[in-house]
Amino acid sequence: MDIFHGEPMFGAARQMMHALAEKEIRPIAEKHDREESMPWDLMKKVRAFGLGQSAMLEARRIAGDDEAEGEKKPGRGGRIAVVGVEELAWGCAGIALAIGGSSLAAAPVARIGNEEQKQVFKQALKGEDEQGRVKVAAMALSEPQTGSDISSLATSARKDGSHWVLRGHKQWITNGHSASIYVVWAQTDASLGRAGVRGFLIERGTPGLIPGRKETKLGIRASETAQVHFEDCRVHQDLMLGGPGPSEGLGDTKKMLDSTRPAVGAQAVGIARAAFEYLLERVKAGTLRGTPLGGHQHVAFALAEMEMEIQASRLLVHRAAWMADHKMDNVSFASMSKAHAARTAQAVTTRAMALLGEEALEPGHPVEKWYRDAKIYDIFEGTGQIQRRIIAKNLTGLNAI
Amino acid sequence: MDFALDDEQALLVATVRRWSEKQLRGWAAEADRAAKPPAGLWKAAGELGLLVDAVPEAAGGMFDGAYSHLARALRGYELGRGCAALAALVESNVEPALAVGRWGSAAAKDALFSAMAAGQIAVFAHDFYEKLTVAPDARGGAMVSGRLGPLPGLALASHVLLSAGGSLLLIAIAGRAAGAAPSGWRAAGWGSLVLERFEVAPEMVLAGAALEEVLSWYRVSLAARALGVAAAAIEYAAGYAEDRIQFGQPIGRFQSLARMRDASETAIAAARAYVLQAGWEIDRGVASATDTASRARDLAADVVAKTTIDAVQIFGGYGFVNDFPVEKLMRDARAFEVLAGNEALSRVLALTAASRGGA
Repeated sequence: MDIFHGEPMFGAARQMMHALAEKEIRPIAEKHDREESMPWDLMKKVRAFGLGQSAMLEARRIAGDDEAEGEKKPGRGGRIAVVGVEELAWGCAGIALAIGGSSLAAAPVARIGNEEQKQVFKQALKGEDEQGRVKVAAMALSEPQTGSDISSLATSARKDGSHWVLRGHKQWITNGHSASIYVVWAQTDASLGRAGVRGFLIERGTPGLIPGRKETKLGIRASETAQVHFEDCRVHQDLMLGGPGPSEGLGDTKKMLDSTRPAVGAQAVGIARAAFEYLLERVKAGTLRGTPLGGHQHVAFALAEMEMEIQASRLLVHRAAWMADHKMDNVSFASMSKAHAARTAQAVTTRAMALLGEEALEPGHPVEKWYRDAKIYDIFEGTGQIQRRIIAKNLTGLNAI
Repeated sequence: MDFALDDEQALLVATVRRWSEKQLRGWAAEADRAAKPPAGLWKAAGELGLLVDAVPEAAGGMFDGAYSHLARALRGYELGRGCAALAALVESNVEPALAVGRWGSAAAKDALFSAMAAGQIAVFAHDFYEKLTVAPDARGGAMVSGRLGPLPGLALASHVLLSAGGSLLLIAIAGRAAGAAPSGWRAAGWGSLVLERFEVAPEMVLAGAALEEVLSWYRVSLAARALGVAAAAIEYAAGYAEDRIQFGQPIGRFQSLARMRDASETAIAAARAYVLQAGWEIDRGVASATDTASRARDLAADVVAKTTIDAVQIFGGYGFVNDFPVEKLMRDARAFEVLAGNEALSRVLALTAASRGGA
């Protein structure tokens, strides 16, 4: 359910994504988790659902939002996204991220790229790669020494004639090993601090761009995470996002978080709901000492607690997305929605495993997988601590340490 | 009242700690990847006396008549700090050896202790979820049907000490369990076994066995190892938080992470004291020992669950990848709360039955 059900578009998006999740994602989730492999076949198949890897660039058009009418007319993209990705993550968060991973890179291109750069990005994702796979994109921001504190990037870009020369290492990069195009963030002028950090479009095969090893992860294993290295990688100046003049640089990308954080929260809600529904089915079918399992408060109240937290999380997510669509300042709500949903996903999956007991130790058990998948939601796209800093700063005006 | 370790206990802790930090931690990551214990585990554990400390001296073991579950808890905590999976394997023989030594027939003792003398291991299994049916026969034997496991150690064991249908049975299973590799304790040789009208001879039924007592031994050991895992998780996280600089300072100096560490250390210390008390109560034959062991296990399982999740949080992105040890610990945490059943619910049911005057 969603609070936007009065508007048919959101209900339709939810139904379509739920059907996809149920019929296409759930059946292959265990395999891709076990094999730690990307669902390439499915990624090809879902292009028909408007889930192509460059979909984010076209999201506004798909949502029927008209930029020309601009400020007055609310958009719908934010709400469609949260309704849809909750369903996909209900199917499998790792696969949802594999399907949507390129949008992390598409978002800054859509926001600050010029027309030529958008074309470069779209062109790079057309067709298939040499292995016949869908082409994907990677957003390369985090570094070995730069996680939460993104203003201290060590990757540098040095001007050399008409080119920029990049050096550095990127870590935890979604699609980092397989991407056909990368959006790479590097410091162009350390004296400018954050404003000196700029994004560059770099295509696979560019000398000096070296995709690194894939990580073995606790969860979301169907989504590839890898290191990427840059060794004197030369990029033409036209491929610097935002053009040659002064730019807000990284500050621009921070605005994107207002719409991506609710979507990340929505995925966490999807995981929580998956575990909750699984447990609920078990409870409905089970008995203990001659009484239905659901007749025992020990079990029933745990379900009630889960239901409360899931509903509360979803309302926060939907409110934050609604605010983004209405172009309202949602910084605090975006953070609250993401942090609350992450906590809910971890709590629900943990408790569900405990209540399922021995069953949840079976190899390949879905709830155990959701337990592992849930953890990243309190870490990536701003840790729970970062979100609380933002929420608290909104209250006190101070950066708490 | 004295909380100090005696010389023997202090030596035990120091010895096991050294071995656990060096070898178990050294082996842990690769054993987890390979989903099997390292070849050197058995020899090293044997040299430390870990595998036969509950086997009577007469049968080639080291047990001289007084087994200390307090000492075992001290040891288990140290082993858990090393690796949950390998700790489970080297602790596995204790329940079968003690129970068979105490209640087993001559034939049962001979079967089990000769296998252990030859380097085999045994596992304890409690059918809390009543997945097995046990039908006693007229001769004093039993017929068992159903699926056992997946359980740690089952794929490697020669024998299982099975608690099912109110009976305690010794079953030879060598080589018959199908291997399995769940997400936690991956190196622990998990296996499952389908028994179809499996006949247990009368001499393999442990007559008069006090099942609750065996469960208490097992729960105290599990709890101690759980807290060792929790302690390792927060030690790793605290070390990382000192080294990791973000926003110009080590992340461990941010109050939220400092409190996370502080709360974990408090919870571990409190639960550990309770687990040691449970071991002490068993050793003294205190009537409340069964209840204390049950509660201590429950508490320890909660502590390890929360602490390992928090440790991954402190590690951030590095916590989620297996280059660092804590994601394994978060996977390993889960088994501690469900092996041999959910006691919180059992205790609640006992309390509510009593309050209705039905107990």
